[in-house]
Amino acid sequence: MGVGDSDKAGLLGLYEEKRANLVRFFAARLNSRAEAEDLVQDLYIRLAGMESVGPIDNPSALLHRIGSNLMLDRLRSQKRATTRDNDWRSAHTISVAGHEIADEPPADEVVASRQRLKALVEAVEDLPEKTRQAFRLHKLEGHSHAETARRMGISVSTVEKHISAALKTLTRRLR
Amino acid sequence: MSRSAQHLQEAADWLARLQRPEVEEADWLAFDAWLGEPGAAQAYDAVQAIDEEIFQRGSAIRGESAEPRRAAARRTFTIDWRWLGGLGAAGAAAAVALVIAPWGELLPPSDTLYATAKGESRAIQLADGSHIDLNTDSHLSVRLDKDARRVTVHDGQALFDVAHDAQRPFLITAGDETVRVVGTKFDVRRRDGQLTVTVLRGLVEVSTDGDDSPVRLRPGQMLEHVEGASGVVVHAVAAEDQVGWRSGRLIYRDQPLERIVGDMNHYFERPLRLEGENTANLRFSGVLIVDGQDAMVRRLTSLMPISATPTDDAIVLRGRPSAPH
Repeated sequence: MGVGDSDKAGLLGLYEEKRANLVRFFAARLNSRAEAEDLVQDLYIRLAGMESVGPIDNPSALLHRIGSNLMLDRLRSQKRATTRDNDWRSAHTISVAGHEIADEPPADEVVASRQRLKALVEAVEDLPEKTRQAFRLHKLEGHSHAETARRMGISVSTVEKHISAALKTLTRRLR
Repeated sequence: MSRSAQHLQEAADWLARLQRPEVEEADWLAFDAWLGEPGAAQAYDAVQAIDEEIFQRGSAIRGESAEPRRAAARRTFTIDWRWLGGLGAAGAAAAVALVIAPWGELLPPSDTLYATAKGESRAIQLADGSHIDLNTDSHLSVRLDKDARRVTVHDGQALFDVAHDAQRPFLITAGDETVRVVGTKFDVRRRDGQLTVTVLRGLVEVSTDGDDSPVRLRPGQMLEHVEGASGVVVHAVAAEDQVGWRSGRLIYRDQPLERIVGDMNHYFERPLRLEGENTANLRFSGVLIVDGQDAMVRRLTSLMPISATPTDDAIVLRGRPSAPH
């Protein structure tokens, strides 16, 4: 079957319409809006370069599927560590004469961001105890929902509720 | 709940849901539909921005936050170091001196002792953001001083995940060895006068009393040391094997039965005893799941040429005579 240019035009049109929401979707997955923007840009290039667009049942679902595959490629090629601390440590810790030394950012940046950091820390500390514990394990230490649940002896869905409650509280306070 | 609070809650719910390990097409379609509601996108963007900031500054937040109000409450008097952070070390010392002077009796922080019973394990979250998983039948104490974080492993096994803090080295004393780390993940085992340190991530420095050249360990290396003896042995290991205990597994590669029995005896009250000339030296490779003692013994007797005989106060393991020629 011939592939209508109109199908492709329709798909690109839908892309334009969904673009912002796709960025929102992948920002959650990648923990970065900038990376999500990049990814969604790659998605456009992929779509624009498609030779044939067969009959599409659900074009919006197709956008998601192609975007998800691009995301997996991206994660694989960058070998993104599951815990960012790993990266942080190897990037910022060097060894001099048997002592590990942290490579600190310039002093003025420290001052500029210190106030904000203090606000973040205080907001986290003011969370109710269980919520703070779940938030800490998952968000600060990088454990999965499942591992956090195991450590706290609660269900995965309860962990998710704690995380969601924490995000809501922190956003209200810090936005 | 106001309309905007409602949206914020829904936005936070969505973000948490989208961060599950598995997210499907249906999630995207529902998420896209939800964003069509007035105010939803704005609420989501606010939540996502905060989430991203926390992700990026996770280490710093973790290092700064002082979890343990409980621990702090035990002291009569505490200083909030976060306040002094901007002053630099000299300023901090001066400020502390000023605060202390009127009372003049600030108690030194005391050691906190953590212990597990046989068959028990325990996750410990320290105030500095470090994490310790304590294996069965183990004892250690922790003291967080302002110049260093000090842990003493009295007996047993623990997996450390140490939060980075350049100002406060993390020092672990186990017998006559001191382990010095900045931020890393490793396992320390001290049983029956034998010490092992296995590194999973980062770099760890181990020094022995009276020996001024420390040994540096990298991921995948294990150091072994007999307390009181001089010198250490370092070799390459499958580091994950050493921490199988965290998921209820004991993993061995060509180890003597004596070692396996020693480990099992830390899990159960009723001791296993070895009898017969060479029984202790029989070798074992494999994975033992830690569940009930009887079940573990049964599996061991099926995997090794040994028999098990229950007595009044113990279970006796004995090498089976090899088949007649």
